[in-house]
Amino acid sequence: MASLTLAIPSKGRLKDDCNAYFADAGAVLKQAAGGRGYRATLSGFPDIEVLLLSAGEIAASLLAGDVHLGITGEDLLREAAPELNGRIHLIRPLGFGFANVVVAVPQYWIDVSTMADLDDVCAAFAHRHRRRLRVATKYTQLTRSYFAQVGISDYRIVESAGATEGAPAAGTAEAIVDITTTGATLAANGLKTLEDGTILESQAQLAASLTADWDGAARATCEALLARLNARARAKTSQILRVRLNGQAEKLLQSLSRIASATVLSRPTDSSGEYSILVPRGKLMDAVNALRAEGCDAPATTQDADYVFDTANPLYAALAEQLPK
Amino acid sequence: MVAFPYTSSSELKVLEIQAEAILGAFRARGYVCEEPSVLQPADIFLDRSGEEIRRRTFTLTDPSGRDLCLRPDLTIPICYQAVKARTELPARICYNGLVFRHQPSEPHRPTQFFQAGAELLGLADRAQGETEIMALTVEALRAAGLKEFSVKIGDLGLFGALVDALDVPAQWRARLKRHFWRVGYFEALLGRLTQGAASDAQRLLGSLGGLSQSESHAAIEGLMDLVADAPQGARTREEIVERLMEQAADAAALRLDPKIADVITRLLAVSGTAEQALAEIRALTRDAGIALDAPLEAMQARLAALKSLGVASDKISFAARFGRNMEYYTGFVFELWARDKEGPVQLAGGGRYDTLLEMLGADRPVSAIGIAIRTERVLAARRQEGGV
Repeated sequence: MASLTLAIPSKGRLKDDCNAYFADAGAVLKQAAGGRGYRATLSGFPDIEVLLLSAGEIAASLLAGDVHLGITGEDLLREAAPELNGRIHLIRPLGFGFANVVVAVPQYWIDVSTMADLDDVCAAFAHRHRRRLRVATKYTQLTRSYFAQVGISDYRIVESAGATEGAPAAGTAEAIVDITTTGATLAANGLKTLEDGTILESQAQLAASLTADWDGAARATCEALLARLNARARAKTSQILRVRLNGQAEKLLQSLSRIASATVLSRPTDSSGEYSILVPRGKLMDAVNALRAEGCDAPATTQDADYVFDTANPLYAALAEQLPK
Repeated sequence: MVAFPYTSSSELKVLEIQAEAILGAFRARGYVCEEPSVLQPADIFLDRSGEEIRRRTFTLTDPSGRDLCLRPDLTIPICYQAVKARTELPARICYNGLVFRHQPSEPHRPTQFFQAGAELLGLADRAQGETEIMALTVEALRAAGLKEFSVKIGDLGLFGALVDALDVPAQWRARLKRHFWRVGYFEALLGRLTQGAASDAQRLLGSLGGLSQSESHAAIEGLMDLVADAPQGARTREEIVERLMEQAADAAALRLDPKIADVITRLLAVSGTAEQALAEIRALTRDAGIALDAPLEAMQARLAALKSLGVASDKISFAARFGRNMEYYTGFVFELWARDKEGPVQLAGGGRYDTLLEMLGADRPVSAIGIAIRTERVLAARRQEGGV
């Protein structure tokens, strides 16, 4: 009997990216009955049951507490629950599934480039046309809260089931709120995004339902999974610097920690041995330069790690804080 | 109150007696009762009252696919009927019925409650209409058996008059008026206007502003030709060119004078007992050299009317910011407050909504003012007074 349920997208690019994400951390997804199964297992984690659902269902399932964990777009999560607090905890953005939720208007409106312009036009439109300007979207919650935040009220939402970008050309709405990655689809439909019209910069999120049944077994399984994912993420963003630090080791280590956020992994047993120091990838040259500036002239080599496990499990700790004691 | 109230027979009786007393006060002034259906076509609400009301309106689709809603207020259907039926004006209409409101972030608040209200439509003398509605409200609450209450007043027209008297571009004027009740957002808007705007379109307008009228018109027409294939979004070419020409004319004065912003900020901060607030506004506008005589006199007349109704002046407060987020109010607004066992509670709210009937299809502007009383709250306040 599985102790933890994890929902991932059942098709498309997002599904492939999820598979790659887990495989990269050494956990291979295997679908139960060929390619059409809606259940899967994750190698190395026999206690996890993986459900393949549509991206929208995943948000709803997390909200309802039907699954413990899920991967889906932040746009869908925020649309399903305007107030995530206490209901869904975002564990970490996954670096794929990038898309922005934006406000777009016809390119014909050369007088409109900001939300303030749209506000002016909405008011003038209501006055001139005796009806409110219509905004087509499937993101009704995000639209309402963003428009309220920027102070636009003279508009009306038209719920759109699909092909929202076609609404202005079809005459069913004047403006839209929709998701876009490159803006090409919007441009092809004669639309443009507003300068301050980005409502959300979304990407895929690993999220936890705070209302699911988090018994001891579920927590333990989750902790193990997040430890693995975190160790892999840390390994990918760091390198191990190996270098001899004769004589002035403590001083050098201090400046490495200050300048390059480095942490010592291991110390040599004798004075001629090498130190292993974990350095964030982007700070590697800073670290080397710091060593040289402090007069360390020993050769330094780097090494990649597969995983960097630590006693700390920050991903799980942040989640545990939100779960009932 | 709970989200889904269940009314017992004894409670129902008390409410009925109270409602009869309130409607009696309305009838005594010539108001006749009407009742629109509970289920309404969604359009008239969603098109006219803005997304804030839409968010709080229960909508549904009937089996044939029509969009319907449970009435979130009775003012709109009553006015809609008056427009459709070409009711003879002035008209005095009252009602007592349930309204339905979704409470998105406050699930403990009731989703349905009673409102007893009155609408005075098409009375040309605005001051007389305001006096009448204030008197009606006070009389109704007293008839219901309430003794103590305070009155909060405001005037959306006062701020409008101030902005009209300021030397600022027309589009800012409209925007300042639209947003004045949005605390926080309005301050941010003032800040943006004082710092000057920096979008690409506004920079473009800055350069157009340097051209002559006909040159800038030609330049805009040229730009429009480039996007001739894009969807028009229901706006005509003239509409867009017109707005750009206006903006280009304003572009020379793209920054709002900080002194003007300061007058606005100080005016909006005025709040307190009505007498004292009025004196403050007089001093403020005199120092700034702005004449606001007409709206200030109107406010003075309202105070006098309330006093003649026996409301003590220390019970009347005024806040310049006080408007209503029911977006159809246009001028004088007022609320009556008392206490129930949990603290201060708003019993009644009303005001002037001079543009609503035209929005609903009237062929000319119709002056309108109304009041809605939350009768269950009135009962709770009477219990707090020990009067039930």
